[in-house]
Amino acid sequence: MESFVREKTKSTPWINFDPNQNFLEIKGESYPEDSAKFYSPMLEWLEEFLRQATQSIQVDIELVYFNSSSSKILMNFFDLLEDTAQRGIHISVNWKYNKDNDIALECGEEFQEDLEHVVFHLIQVD
Amino acid sequence: MVQHIQKFYEQLKDEGIIFSFSGPVSQSLLEGIGETLRQKMTLEETSTSITQKVFSIFVELMQNVINYSAEKGAAGEDEQDLSFGILLIGKHDSHFYIKCGNYITQDQKRPLTKKLSTIQHMSKEELKKYYKEQRRKNAEKGSKGAGLGFIEMARKASQPIGFDFASAQDGRIFFVVNAVV
Repeated sequence: MESFVREKTKSTPWINFDPNQNFLEIKGESYPEDSAKFYSPMLEWLEEFLRQATQSIQVDIELVYFNSSSSKILMNFFDLLEDTAQRGIHISVNWKYNKDNDIALECGEEFQEDLEHVVFHLIQVD
Repeated sequence: MVQHIQKFYEQLKDEGIIFSFSGPVSQSLLEGIGETLRQKMTLEETSTSITQKVFSIFVELMQNVINYSAEKGAAGEDEQDLSFGILLIGKHDSHFYIKCGNYITQDQKRPLTKKLSTIQHMSKEELKKYYKEQRRKNAEKGSKGAGLGFIEMARKASQPIGFDFASAQDGRIFFVVNAVV
């Protein structure tokens, strides 16, 4: 399987999903005009990757800001991870937030509340 | 002419308006204004939290105009039609406010009223619960976003979201939203 990579733009994040390292990274901001359209290739890639997954997966997310339609995509993203973790694949998420950004922290906490099998860490960065 | 424009400019400043825009709204315009808005707020040493709240409400409102304004202008071929609206961002006493207006159709009025009145009376805790419930639901018919925009705004605002309608002669309705942070 090939890596899934998207360069950062003003309203979309850097996305780097590396199947060889079992490492998924999303970093930046997310408020595209049409979130469903922008993220559907990413979610398709992820579904395929998770179907084949046998080893533990590391996920790093550092989002300064995301709009409400991106929030829905992130929920779908975490649902896919949760399903996979539930069938025994170890998944660890690092939700990184800047120390001044309490909104990013709060958003992370709200995703964490709904996850039972995914290991979710809130990590403060400078 | 010059006096008229100066008067208009000074009037906006007297009202505490930091930013005003009227005309066609696009995603690239939103990104540009948004960046300037953040720079200005950072320069004035506004806290990250307040800046983020104002920015968040600004994005949701502008994307509402892009998706739902009933006033459209044809763009070039292969391009999406432009949506028209007005945006005002200002500061009054120690609060920031974001006002946004655009024309809507008669059919849009009832669902908007229902949605906005429902959230007007909710506490922050109820809003959080409602947000998470709505996020789980499939998007409503005719909704281009996730249908979460107004709840998101209400969660970020420090006062209930205000809204009003004015009827135009041609049957369209002018819809205004006011959020205070």
